[in-house]
Amino acid sequence: MLDLLWHGLVNVAQWKYMLPLFAGTFIGVIGGSLPGVTITMTVIVVLPFTYGLDPLAGLAAMTGVYVGGSTGGLIACCLLGIPGSPASIATTFDGFPMARNGEPGRAIWLGVWASVWGGLLGALFLVFLTGPLAAIALEFGPWEYFSLFVLAMAMVAGLTESSLLKGLLSTAIGLLITVVGHDPIGSVPRFTFGSEFIGGGFPFLPVLIGIFAFAQIMTDLEKLNGPRGQPVESLVGVKLERFSHLKVNLEIFKQPFLLAWATIVGLIIGILPAIGGSASSVMAYDQAKKFSKTPERFGKGHPEGIIASEASNNANVSGSLMTIMAFGIPGDAVTAVMLGAMTIHGIQSGPLFISQNPDLAYGIYAAYILAHPCMLLICVVLMPLMLRVTSVRMAVLAPVVLVLCVVGAYALNNTMQSVYVLLLFGVVGYGLVKLGFPLAPLILGLILGDQIEINLVRAIMTDPNPWLFLTRPISGGLLVATALSVALAIWQHLRHQNRVAEEEPDF
Amino acid sequence: MSIGRDGIAGLVLLAISLVLLVKSFQLPSLPIVPVGPGFYPAIVLSFMAAASALLVLQDLMKRAPVAADAPDAPRRNYRLVVIAFAIVGFYVVLLPLLGFRVATVLFVGALQAALGRPRTMRQWAVLAAIALGTAAVSYFVFERYLLVLLPRGAWTGF
Repeated sequence: MLDLLWHGLVNVAQWKYMLPLFAGTFIGVIGGSLPGVTITMTVIVVLPFTYGLDPLAGLAAMTGVYVGGSTGGLIACCLLGIPGSPASIATTFDGFPMARNGEPGRAIWLGVWASVWGGLLGALFLVFLTGPLAAIALEFGPWEYFSLFVLAMAMVAGLTESSLLKGLLSTAIGLLITVVGHDPIGSVPRFTFGSEFIGGGFPFLPVLIGIFAFAQIMTDLEKLNGPRGQPVESLVGVKLERFSHLKVNLEIFKQPFLLAWATIVGLIIGILPAIGGSASSVMAYDQAKKFSKTPERFGKGHPEGIIASEASNNANVSGSLMTIMAFGIPGDAVTAVMLGAMTIHGIQSGPLFISQNPDLAYGIYAAYILAHPCMLLICVVLMPLMLRVTSVRMAVLAPVVLVLCVVGAYALNNTMQSVYVLLLFGVVGYGLVKLGFPLAPLILGLILGDQIEINLVRAIMTDPNPWLFLTRPISGGLLVATALSVALAIWQHLRHQNRVAEEEPDF
Repeated sequence: MSIGRDGIAGLVLLAISLVLLVKSFQLPSLPIVPVGPGFYPAIVLSFMAAASALLVLQDLMKRAPVAADAPDAPRRNYRLVVIAFAIVGFYVVLLPLLGFRVATVLFVGALQAALGRPRTMRQWAVLAAIALGTAAVSYFVFERYLLVLLPRGAWTGF
C-alpha cells in the first residue's frame, strides 16, 4: 500500500499534475476567503477547466479547491467576523475576537496551521481506512446499497433546521428529477411528454450547477444595495503583527488531544453523506468547549476554538473523499461535482474503484496530501493579497461566476440544451430556497436517484421477496438506523418547535 | 382558516405528484422484468404526494391560531433578483446568436451595471475592462489551452 502511495506521490509531483493542483488550491483559497462564495461554488467554477484535462489532473485541481477552500474561509472569519465559506463558521467565534484584540496574524496562522495538521492527520485515515471500508462495501448486495442510500437520505432530510417534511419533500423532488427520461432497464421514456428537450432526462451537472449557483448568487443579490452585511469593525487591509510560526505550531501541539479529536469529528462528519463542513466545524468547536479546562474563554478569542474548527473542517475533506472512493457516494455537494466530473471521463466510482483504478485512487490521495503544502505556500506568499481579497464586490463577482457556470454547462456536451436546463433549474433552485426548502437533501436525491432505482430493481430481479431488505442483517440494520434517525429528527423538531428563527440557507 | 406559503407549495407539489402518479401507472410493463418502468417512480411519487399532503395539513393547523409574520425581517431587494434573472435569460438567448465572445461582453457589462451603477467615467472604464477581460480570458483559456469549444454566433459567425 505504501509503495502505491509513494508511486502516487511521485506521479502527482509531475508538472502536469502539480500545476492544476496548485492552481486549484489557489482558486480554492481565494474562493473560500470570499464571503458569499462557497467551496461548492468554487468547485463548480473550476469544473469547466477540468473537461480538457486528463482525469487525474482534473481531480487534482478539484481536490486542491476543496482543501484550499476549507482553509481560505478562515481569513474572512478573522477579518470580517463573517465566515468566508460555511465550512469555517465556528472559526468566527474565536478568530474575530482574537483579531480584534490586536492579534490578527496569530488568529489567521493558528487557523492555517491547524488546517494543515488536521488535514494531514485526516490523510492518514484516508489512506489506511478507505481500503477496508471499500472491502466492507464489496460485501454489499443491491439490498444493502438500497438501504444505505435510504439511510443517507433520511439523515440529511432530518438534519434540516426548518422542517423535516420539507427536507423529505426536497429529497423526493431530487429523486423525481432523476426519474425523468429513459428508464435504466428497458429504456422506456418516462414523463417526457413527447418532448425532445427532456427526452434524454436532465443532465446531472447542469441541474446541480443551476440549483446551487443560482440559488446562492440570487440570495446574495437580494441583500445588495440594502443595509450592508459588512460589519462596522472590518479589519480588511490590516497589517499582521509580528509573530512566530514556531510558537503558533507549539500552541497547536501543546494540546494533541484537541487536534486529534477535532480531526476525528471532522472525519466522521465527512464520511456521513451530504452533511458537509459547516456541521463538522460547529460540532468540533462544541466538543472542544465541552472538553476544555477553560470553557469560559471560548468566544473571546481562545486559540482552542480556532484550532478545533479549522482542524475539523479540513479533516472533513478527507472523510468526504473516503466515502466517495469506498462507496461511490458523494460525501457532500463538492464531492458530488467531483463524481460528476469522474463520470464525464468514464470512470465508474464504487467499491471497485480503488482496485480497478489504483493509479487514480492513489493519485487522489497524493493530490490531497500535496494540496496541504501548496496551500501553506500560497498562504505564506500571498497573505497580503488575501487580506484584501475579501472585499471584492458582489457586482463584479456575480457576472463572472455566472459566465463560468454557463460555460460549465455548455461545454459538457457542446449543446445549448444543457444551458437551458441550467437556467430552468436556477429558477427552480431559487424558488425552492425562497419557499424554505433545504437544498442539501435535493442534491442527495439527485445524486443517488439512479443508483437507488437500479439497486431496487436489481434486488427484486434477483429475488422477488421484499422482506429480504429487512432480514439481510446489514440491510436490516441500515433500515432500522433509518427509522431511528427519522424518529430522532421528529423528536428534535418537536423539542425545537417553539424556537422561531429564520436560518440562512446552508449551501 | 387561511392557507400560507407552505400550504400553497404543498398543494402545487401534491398536484404535480398526483398527475405524474397517474402517468406512471400508464407506463408499459416489460415482458421479462418483474417490475416495470413505472414501479420506482410510483414509489417516489406516492411518497411525495403523502409528504405534500402532510405539509398542507401542517400549514393549515399552524395557521389556525394567529398568522404572525416576522415584521422586522431584513428588507430584501427582489427587484434586483428579477432583473438579474432577466439578464441571464437574455444572455442564454443571445449566446447562440451572437456567439460567446460578444454575448459575454454584453452580459458581464449589463449585469455589473445593474448590480451597481457606475457613476464616474473611471468606474465605467473598470466595468468595461472587466467585461472585456472576462470574455477574452475565458475564451483564450478554454478554446486555446483547454480545447473546450464555446458557442459560435449564428448571426455573427464569431
